[in-house]
Amino acid sequence: MSPAPDGRPIFLEIADQIAADILTGAYPQETPVPSTNELSVHYRVNPATAGKALNLLVDDGVLYKRRGLGMYVATGAPEALRARRRAAFVEEFVLPLRAEAARLGFTDREIVDFILKDSS
Amino acid sequence: MTATAVPPRERGITLHAVTKSFGGNHVLRGVTADLPADRIYGLLGANGVGKTTLMALICGHTFRSGGQILIDGEDPVENAAVLRRTCFVHEDQRYNDNFTVAQVLAPGPAYFPNWSAETAERLARRFRLPPKTASKKLSRGQRSALAITISLASRAPYTFLDEPYLGLDASARSILYDEVLTEYVAHPRTIVLSTHLIDEAADLMEDVLILEDGVVAVHAEVDLARRESFIVRGPQEQVRALIGAREVLTERHLGNLLTATVRGQASDADRALAHQTRLALEPATLQEFVAAIGVRSHDRSDIA
Repeated sequence: MSPAPDGRPIFLEIADQIAADILTGAYPQETPVPSTNELSVHYRVNPATAGKALNLLVDDGVLYKRRGLGMYVATGAPEALRARRRAAFVEEFVLPLRAEAARLGFTDREIVDFILKDSS
Repeated sequence: MTATAVPPRERGITLHAVTKSFGGNHVLRGVTADLPADRIYGLLGANGVGKTTLMALICGHTFRSGGQILIDGEDPVENAAVLRRTCFVHEDQRYNDNFTVAQVLAPGPAYFPNWSAETAERLARRFRLPPKTASKKLSRGQRSALAITISLASRAPYTFLDEPYLGLDASARSILYDEVLTEYVAHPRTIVLSTHLIDEAADLMEDVLILEDGVVAVHAEVDLARRESFIVRGPQEQVRALIGAREVLTERHLGNLLTATVRGQASDADRALAHQTRLALEPATLQEFVAAIGVRSHDRSDIA
């Protein structure tokens, strides 16, 4: 995994990837996610980096540790992740869209028309 | 040699005020660092800053001029028990000219107590090392592959890889990085990796040491080292206003446009100002940061 262009630490990128895989159901609730070592070799990052990604998801309540067995997806994790992404949607997608539209001189009406046209 | 000032680690490498001169050439001017065991370290810096010299000193391949080096609390100089825990294949390592690859690998277990024949066999196969070819007939890339094979198969608790990628193409380097991690997660040990291909190897590292002018300029976790500098680009006056009193590592000009690599972390105020005055502000990659330190050091010695 290569560094994000905005200089975001790699462990955040890996945590996001695991979270995205939980959202799509690749890792169902109450099943294990790959171990630190497996993630390290797969993403080709230092195990300390992979460990930080898993710990972040544990701190967020997305994963929990089963003693001797590894990290498991918590019940309700997909809903929690979806709720968090919905909460961030306006800031991460809508505001940048409006800022760029304003720079280019589009009206709000035109933006709405673009969205409706492309989704029909 | 000076008295100890850093409490030695039970497991790990302790360097205190290490110096090395070759005649009047002071390569290392006082390297101090505390390296806990079982991490992967990136040893970075421009050519000639003393990376290879430092590795050779730690492994007892050459004698230091001053300072103190301890591995697991013991001085490695003429200490066979400590030296058996290290593996450092020099970049220009010569083998008995008539020995084949297989003959070079055969005595591995005699030198290294933890030698893995299985790892040696796997790496030789993956790198397509011809077992019956005389070592003197190997290409640059094959010699690198042989050095990597010995180093990883040694499973030495302190393994040093000095620019291990010389002559390796992109696929062979990909095998190198894969195998370093595979071996490391299965058998954790201290690995010190010197490299100029920083962007492609940085994710392997836990900590980095950047040498400049014979001393440690930066010693930090890789994610923190990545935030030690940023690049700002735009009209000269605005760029200078944003930088303020901070240290500029390198600057490049194109008409009135200035691109500056600045030491330090960009703050929210910097980003707000850059946005307001339409300057491009982005983090420097670790490779850009190390290169900028090297350029600064070159330019300084030009003046001196």
